[in-house]
Amino acid sequence: MHELSIAMEILEIVEKEALKHGAGAVRKVRLKVGDLSGVETDSLTFSFDAIKGEKKLAGKADLLIQRTPARIRCKPCGADFEGRSGFIVSCPECEGFDTRLLAGDELEIVDIEID
Amino acid sequence: MSDTIRLEKKVLSRNDMLAAELRELFREKGVAVMNMVSSPGSGKTSLLEKTLGSLSETLSIGVIEGDIQTENDALRIAATGVPVHQIQTGGACHLEAEMIRRALDHFSLEDLDLLIIENVGNLVCPSAFDLGEGIRVSVISVTEGDDKPLKYPSMFHSADVMVVNKMDLLPYTDFSVEKAVAGARSLNPGIRILETSCRTGEGLDSWSEFVKEFTRKQVSGV
Repeated sequence: MHELSIAMEILEIVEKEALKHGAGAVRKVRLKVGDLSGVETDSLTFSFDAIKGEKKLAGKADLLIQRTPARIRCKPCGADFEGRSGFIVSCPECEGFDTRLLAGDELEIVDIEID
Repeated sequence: MSDTIRLEKKVLSRNDMLAAELRELFREKGVAVMNMVSSPGSGKTSLLEKTLGSLSETLSIGVIEGDIQTENDALRIAATGVPVHQIQTGGACHLEAEMIRRALDHFSLEDLDLLIIENVGNLVCPSAFDLGEGIRVSVISVTEGDDKPLKYPSMFHSADVMVVNKMDLLPYTDFSVEKAVAGARSLNPGIRILETSCRTGEGLDSWSEFVKEFTRKQVSGV
């Protein structure tokens, strides 16, 4: 259940940014969550909604989550692939393990919509 | 009238920044730091006791214990004579860089070669929190499922080493070491595998050797 700490951190960042930009309220928070980030999105949304009321500007904000699959590059083949089952990062072509993760471990606030 | 503000900000950037500061501090002070993670009951503390038993004469070691409640693990470590500090998270399922920063008040970093952090027993949450460690060791035991790596991908993806513990019990289980290793490698091609038993002592020499070598490299900055 580290989703609660993550929700707190998101609200903290959002509130600070909204204040900085002179917002009256935050409508939406768009978040990118990689399949390899270890975050359970339902639990994160639940936590976010449960505690957002404490915030002056983000108190009514909706959390919109965009999941991103793992993207890998096979070093020998040079080809890019999507991780199988979301997170298996061996090469689907040559079954090789000499791969590099291009994306999929992000946990990032993309943007916020403010009034 | 609504406005969209692009942030592109990492949610855990505050923890990441603090972890980076800690990493720099450890480098300056010449301390190697190991973060041990696992599910509850895999034998992290037993492995730690064995490690301290064999290495504390040649290396100066400190231990940070993370648990939700109790000081039981810290008492076990203190019995080996090594300086230890217990963090009781009081419900939190993982350690964060800020908790480590505060715990450092209880150590004299100048005098340490190696700091071992035993994280809260949990294969999910600790994976997201960088503690400034030089190496992350994930311990699984053969009494668990051999599909653990595939079930908890982010933990095995972020680990540098997987220790397969309780090897003495292997004949009594359906655990396939091969399957567990293949699972871990499919998530993390470069992961190093070590097999141990704290009961029979199997593999403990290789493990201690590995810890010693890691410490030597970190301390000398090579």
